[in-house]
Amino acid sequence: MLHLQPHNLLIQKTLTEAIEAVNNGTPLTLDRIVSDFDYTTFHISNSDEEKSTLLLSVKTKAWASVVNCGDLLSYLQSSFTKFNGIEIPSNFENGYNYTLALDLKQLDQESVVQASLLKTMIMSFPFNLSFEEFNKLSSQPAPTTEYELNNINNNAPVFKIEYRDDENIFIKPSFDRITVIFETIFQDETDKILGKVFLQEFVDARKRNRGIQSAPQVLFSHEPPLELRNLSEYSNYTDISSSKRFITFVLFPRHFANDELKFKSVVQLTLFRSYFHYHIKCSKAYLHSRMRYRVDTFVKVLNRAKVDEEEDSKDADSEQHVRRTITGRKVVY
Amino acid sequence: MSYLNNPAIVMDNGTGLTKLGFAGNDSPSWIFPTAIATSQNHTKKTSSMSSTSNTTSSNQYFGNSTSATSFNSLNASMPLSNNLAGKRGTEDLDFYIGNEALAAAQGPSYSLSYPIRHGQIENWDHMERFWENSIFKYLRTEPEDHFFLLTEPPLNPPENREQVAEIFFESFNCAGLYIAVQAVLALAASWTSSKVTDRSLTGTVIDSGDGVTHVIPVAEGYVIGSAIKNIPIAGRDITLFIQSLLRERGETDTSLRTAERIKQEYCYVCPDIVKEFNKFDRNPDKFAQFIVENQEKTQKKIVDVGYERFLAPEIFFNPEIASSDFLTPLPTIVDHTIQACPIDVRKGLYNNIVLSGGSTMFKDFGRRLQRDIKSIVNNRIAQSELLSGTKSTGVDVNVITHRKQRNAVWFGGSLLAQTAEFKSYCHTKKDYEEYGPEIVRNFSLFNMV
Repeated sequence: MLHLQPHNLLIQKTLTEAIEAVNNGTPLTLDRIVSDFDYTTFHISNSDEEKSTLLLSVKTKAWASVVNCGDLLSYLQSSFTKFNGIEIPSNFENGYNYTLALDLKQLDQESVVQASLLKTMIMSFPFNLSFEEFNKLSSQPAPTTEYELNNINNNAPVFKIEYRDDENIFIKPSFDRITVIFETIFQDETDKILGKVFLQEFVDARKRNRGIQSAPQVLFSHEPPLELRNLSEYSNYTDISSSKRFITFVLFPRHFANDELKFKSVVQLTLFRSYFHYHIKCSKAYLHSRMRYRVDTFVKVLNRAKVDEEEDSKDADSEQHVRRTITGRKVVY
Repeated sequence: MSYLNNPAIVMDNGTGLTKLGFAGNDSPSWIFPTAIATSQNHTKKTSSMSSTSNTTSSNQYFGNSTSATSFNSLNASMPLSNNLAGKRGTEDLDFYIGNEALAAAQGPSYSLSYPIRHGQIENWDHMERFWENSIFKYLRTEPEDHFFLLTEPPLNPPENREQVAEIFFESFNCAGLYIAVQAVLALAASWTSSKVTDRSLTGTVIDSGDGVTHVIPVAEGYVIGSAIKNIPIAGRDITLFIQSLLRERGETDTSLRTAERIKQEYCYVCPDIVKEFNKFDRNPDKFAQFIVENQEKTQKKIVDVGYERFLAPEIFFNPEIASSDFLTPLPTIVDHTIQACPIDVRKGLYNNIVLSGGSTMFKDFGRRLQRDIKSIVNNRIAQSELLSGTKSTGVDVNVITHRKQRNAVWFGGSLLAQTAEFKSYCHTKKDYEEYGPEIVRNFSLFNMV
């Protein structure tokens, strides 16, 4: 319950059903829209030529900025074509950023999960680039002087994912760490307060709790962190009054030591905003349930104060013992 | 404002099943029971103890995450510096919905509850969490980016609407909200049928699910509340009737599941029972056989399917064969409902009788209903012609069946929500903040022409 899964459950379900239908000899005719976080829309449809081939197309807000980071297409191609039944068609569906062609006869469970990770894979590309950049920088001799340090920090590229309208992710590799910075903006006043409490808890929990000391360091600030000062849009950022906040995660080499850890870190980070907003909403739901409970108890108190005259007079006549329970109900004995 | 391109979300929360999906699709993306399994407090300790061993072995990213409880155990083991955090863990996040809830309720640490009773939401705490999980986990959407279309039963009190609006605007900050009456959506869904020529929102909706059958007259998009009638015969009664027939004959397998499969696969409506009995007797290949396999597919049981093929759906038309306390046939009820409506809409109501729900899916159900209602109407016309001596212009009776009948309400919602105007009919977060929850008492109707 606490976590959101990295893969899209609905794509997984739809593909599994489609495979089953093909194996039963009754291929489904599909034309479905599936949605995901951060302005992402998938489209699952039958291919024109082959009934047992499905096209899974994706359109996402982050695409334009991720493509700018490097050779995204060959990255996606290499990460998907190694699985059974997934192929990349020569041209993508109109109106969508990317398309996978899935051969339902060859698809197995692993490739289904991989296909439903499509959005995560797109988002993971800049992270992978920064892992590579980190390897390059860390293999060079460590800087000894301040000048060398500055030089590295100024020259290292900053990858930017524009995944929402006003919120971006920045990834900056360095020789001993990778810094991931999220911008957040809240539309709603209540969310702003709850979000602030949450973010401060992120920072504090690590200090307080010895069990999670190995987690990445989290920083929370109102002004852009130093890593972003070199970027043009933040070179003279003075707008402290705006509701934009910055959350910084510092990944150390132990967080991306092997492929599995890399994948885990990337998944957690790409889902961070959704997770964050989800839990703000969960806390609100909890507050609401407490409020309902409190109103109920007040109503009970009010009910106890009600005078029921008719019954009272009858009780007095029959001279019975009457007591009230805490909920206002009468007990006659 | 790029949320304008996101598909609207259509949610139809029924008593039994919830249908979730995106506007523009032809079928709901998720159909699961409206059930929620919440953790029971007294077993909290044992569950968190057992889960510590579980979570280390299972992959918590892909597994059916038990991480909620593992967070509890983490809380318990950490030195408590904060008083409030020590008092409470994350029990409120430890729940499952839908099919996962049914599975979780098998174990000892969860209790199952159905937050909707008789079409109306009873437990708001559970419903809020049910929505929260269905939006984030199953639909994977940020509610701030999407418009929502929800459904409500006819005669839903306006206070309930306000509660829904409070949850959707305050908890979820959804971009916009429209609450539609289920019967009206079922009418809209019938527009896909080739028989429908004018897209009007006047008609009689026969909505038969698992628990109860409603007959709801709708005039120009407004439900005529005083004329709504319910029949206590629906899908479950048909299943039970089949089961009793199987038991009487002493078949090898008489489970409710088998009866339900037989209902779905073999039953149909016949024009005349006596003739159908004769047909079965003359023509033995009308009898069918249903093969029950156990889960490992090692044993096979053969169940004969006989007269129940046409007798079971017949209880809509002749209820006396199954029940002794409810005896009015469905066509008569429909006729009574329409007769209870204002006289100027009655023609339109007879003209457009729309079926919705799983229990109206029997073959020829619509045709039989149309014939029976027509004969009632024609008798009445003949009698009034006889009494008054004038010639009547006649009344057209039309029962409309279409392919989307099973999820008609959801499909109607999907149709309406994909139109360009939909968003202008919604109440937005801004309206809500300006006027408060009472704005949802009124929704303007769609004119889809």
